[in-house]
Amino acid sequence: MTKKLLKLFYFLFFLNLLFSYNVNAQNPQVDEIAKNLRCLICQGQSVYDSNSEFALSLKTLISQKLASGNSEEDIYNFLKSKYGEWIVYEPEINKYTLLLWLLPLFLFIFGGLLIKRKLLINRVKNEKYN
Amino acid sequence: MLNLIGNYSLILALITSFIILILTFKNFKSKSILNLSIFATISVQFFLICVSFITLLLAFINSDFSNLAVYNNSHTAKPLFYKISGTWGNHEGSLLLWLFVLSLFIVIFFFKSKKLLDSFRILTIFFQQLIILGFLLFIIFTSNPFQLIIPTPIEGLGLNPILQDPALAIHPPILYLGYVGSSIIFSSSLAALVCNYTNKDWANDLKKWTLISWIFLTIGILLGSIWAYYELGWGGFWFWDPVENVSLMPWFCLSALLHCTSVLEKRSNLQSWTVILALSTFILSMSGTFLVRSGILNSVHTFANDPERGIFVLIFLTVLIFIALIIYFKFNNIEKFSKSYLLSKETAIVINNWFMMYFLAVVLIGTVYPIFLEAITTEKISVGPPYFNQLIIPFLIPFLLIMSIGPKLDWIKNKKLEIKIIKIVLFFISILISYLIAKNFNTQVLYSTLLISSAIYLFFISIIDLKNKSLKISQKISHLSFSILIISIILNSLFSEEVSVNLKKGEEKKLSNYLLKFENISRSQIDNFTSLKAEIHVIQSDQKLKFFPELRLYKVPETITSEADIKTNLFSDNLVVVNYLKNTDYLNIRYQKKPFMLFIWLSAFMLAVGGFLGLRKNFK
Repeated sequence: MTKKLLKLFYFLFFLNLLFSYNVNAQNPQVDEIAKNLRCLICQGQSVYDSNSEFALSLKTLISQKLASGNSEEDIYNFLKSKYGEWIVYEPEINKYTLLLWLLPLFLFIFGGLLIKRKLLINRVKNEKYN
Repeated sequence: MLNLIGNYSLILALITSFIILILTFKNFKSKSILNLSIFATISVQFFLICVSFITLLLAFINSDFSNLAVYNNSHTAKPLFYKISGTWGNHEGSLLLWLFVLSLFIVIFFFKSKKLLDSFRILTIFFQQLIILGFLLFIIFTSNPFQLIIPTPIEGLGLNPILQDPALAIHPPILYLGYVGSSIIFSSSLAALVCNYTNKDWANDLKKWTLISWIFLTIGILLGSIWAYYELGWGGFWFWDPVENVSLMPWFCLSALLHCTSVLEKRSNLQSWTVILALSTFILSMSGTFLVRSGILNSVHTFANDPERGIFVLIFLTVLIFIALIIYFKFNNIEKFSKSYLLSKETAIVINNWFMMYFLAVVLIGTVYPIFLEAITTEKISVGPPYFNQLIIPFLIPFLLIMSIGPKLDWIKNKKLEIKIIKIVLFFISILISYLIAKNFNTQVLYSTLLISSAIYLFFISIIDLKNKSLKISQKISHLSFSILIISIILNSLFSEEVSVNLKKGEEKKLSNYLLKFENISRSQIDNFTSLKAEIHVIQSDQKLKFFPELRLYKVPETITSEADIKTNLFSDNLVVVNYLKNTDYLNIRYQKKPFMLFIWLSAFMLAVGGFLGLRKNFK
């Protein structure tokens, strides 16, 4: 039973790596990119949500870049080189952010092992009593 | 005059606080029964704090601008309702409200704990009083709400207009009831540890307080979310904004604790873990206050902040954590396990806690990591929705499935896992439905299918369980609501539509299959703001909808807020928001179709109702 469950978890975890969550909209690519960008002059708003001049000009820039054949990757890289990592809501994985991404997963696995150990210890105890 | 009364009652309350600490300490040492003079001093203290809270309330109602807090946050032109809510809409007042609720809860605790061990009650009051003392010192020395200005100004500076909203007026007090409820959980756990009282009776009492905090926190988060939905005008309801995250963290903790106390109550197991959860809940609430108040977090919700006050909260927090750790390690000798079986309700609850802690870890790390990273390496990163969605949503799939199996397992050994054909059929129906949903909508089919099917499966099972008499009604309602909540959120995010366009008065534009018309705009003077009401028509094939979104121009302080016009139907919300484009006569018009919004609000509310039913049962 546990093995099956574990297998299921691994499988789901693997799936997560393959597909990341997607919310669709009308002008999918521009919106998609704008949602992942922080509006630098606003307080805690995304470029997509904001109507500030900065956000509007950035949205125009994105659609221009897309029209001229740049990929999403290129646009993110361009913006990051111009404004720094602060502008993207999804931090890329590098030496600074490795822990950010992995720590929760490690904790999850650690918690699972802890529970498994406790349950196993109990089972051994119970068998002795029986 | 009023100011003086308020101020002196606070100082007297500080004195009573010391008296209560001494009394409870002596009482505990002498190992006698609970000394009634403790109750007398608690009542006096409660009365004093009431007086100072009412004084501040009156100062706000009368617009007494000789009071600095009133001057900074109020204005004579403000409607009475917002004058009242202005009392806690600012830093000083909100702390006084915290204090008021803290002392109210200590009185309630006194009455509701009469059946419990005396030494435990005394110590709980002692620890709770330590927290009150901390707050009193904080208020009196760093954020006194009764500071005078001489000479008295004629007019105040006004309350941030974005806060002048009914949902937000009651949002803070309700959220605070949740936070403060967790303070009793904290004190009671420390007391239980010292008295070696982590048993069934304690678990039963702890459960009530956990439920109270959980209900208020749930409703508080819901109100904040509703407010963000229509006031911030972005059409979203959850932004993974740091301040939202900060309220979500104690919620995960409380939800875990809620399940965990049942194990302790029924099976006398998991004592240590219960205590750890109970302590963490309050520490998370306090850290949340620290992060919000100190202005460390970059957030749209940070309205009032002051770094110096942050340091006080930080010291206070450190002291509390320190005390908690010492007591935990000195007195924790309760590691005894009774028999537990792999396939039991207990295991299901442990797994629930496991996932809850994982969600908590994701939110905590995602919120705090950027702060530390910047402090250590000066590297500035943003952690936003993509991070949380990617780490949380996949884990919801097994979580939902286990949630549908867990409640029906027996406490002790489950003889054999009954697998009924109907359940398997339902499982496949769930997969089929969600496959169709995911396929019709051009999205990652496999992934969405799994997610939606697990949510729908939980929904079906919860519906069947409604008839199951062996389960508690509170649990049935809450689980059912949770499944509806998740389904609505997923469908909402999959099927939301949006068009945005800049138009002048009289212009129209066709975007995909919507025709947007800017018909008219009218100006009027209401209360303390000027209202610009636009008339926007949205035409889709044969259907025509008229919207009247509004821009509000406030004079004090000078701000523009945007009020969405939302048409709510059972299955979908249609809303239009307008925004003013600087130096042009264009308005930015945004039309959004958000399905299942009503279901999101209602199911979140029902979740809290489930908790309330549980509370009623526990008090019988």
